[in-house]
Amino acid sequence: MSETIVLVVDDSRVSRMMTKSAIERLRPDWVVLEAASGEDALSAVALDRPDFILMDVNMPGMGGLEAARQLRPRLPKAGISLLTANIQDSIRDQAAAMGVGFMSKPLRDEDLAAFLAAGRPPS
Amino acid sequence: MTDFLGEVERDAVTEILNVAIGRAAAALSRLVTAEVTLSVPMVEFLTPALAAERIDAATGKQVSVAVRQTFRSSFSGDILLIFPEGKSLDLVRSMLGDSVPLDSLTELEQEALLEVGNIILNGCLGSLANQLDIDIDSSLPTYVRGRGARILDSSHPEAELVMVLQVDFSVAAKGLGGYLAFVMDIVSARHFSESVNAFVARTLAGGAAPA
Repeated sequence: MSETIVLVVDDSRVSRMMTKSAIERLRPDWVVLEAASGEDALSAVALDRPDFILMDVNMPGMGGLEAARQLRPRLPKAGISLLTANIQDSIRDQAAAMGVGFMSKPLRDEDLAAFLAAGRPPS
Repeated sequence: MTDFLGEVERDAVTEILNVAIGRAAAALSRLVTAEVTLSVPMVEFLTPALAAERIDAATGKQVSVAVRQTFRSSFSGDILLIFPEGKSLDLVRSMLGDSVPLDSLTELEQEALLEVGNIILNGCLGSLANQLDIDIDSSLPTYVRGRGARILDSSHPEAELVMVLQVDFSVAAKGLGGYLAFVMDIVSARHFSESVNAFVARTLAGGAAPA
């Protein structure tokens, strides 16, 4: 059986560390890859095809919404969710419209567990 | 200096910011896994120099570190999260727990503070946007270190007065404390007040409920 890959996209190294640590607590056997921008995320999926993607929104260069918009059709089977401090309803609505989940920071373990189990965060 | 808002408008502005700051405090509480206590928000109209003095008074004229974001909607301004310098490492330690070796904490302090600021300030702005049913764009967070004038950065040097909203917060269990401040020029403060008035009118008419 092939390994399960999670891609964490966030311009904050500390945020990536915290998210990676939470994933590794829940799924110690999974592989966690990191990308620091939307552009890096697009490059990363060309090399490895992640099963799950957690995407920050406010990043320099290509933001998370645009990156998710481009990744969604390229990885139709992957679970993709925004993970952002930007809790505005308009961001939530845009995520729903493109078939992407939404989780707010700080990340709750139960939200992450539900996402990694079902490919979408609890609604 | 307090004639720019009537009593009812001031009350509405304070209340709506109170809810937004409550949302931010909940995020901070989850980050440090401890209860966060908030002071009653204080809204004042001050000259930029006096606003800087307020920050200095609140921090005992010590050097502080702050995370600042500029926001823009029908009103615009800066939102700041300010900590006494010596306390920021404690905050980072509370946040990262045992997942990071002690000797790496100092190296990560600035990045961690930026992320704390990102979560708290966006939580606050997001709640504001949701309550007022508007979109608010915000810049990426920036890190600032210094005393009051440097923290405020005189981003409104031409302004005669700025509206400053300040809330003190503390995490007693962790010995942490800091300040959250909104700074807007008078034109923005008026637009902000108009948005709040529209929200109050909608709510009283049985429309939108506070988010």
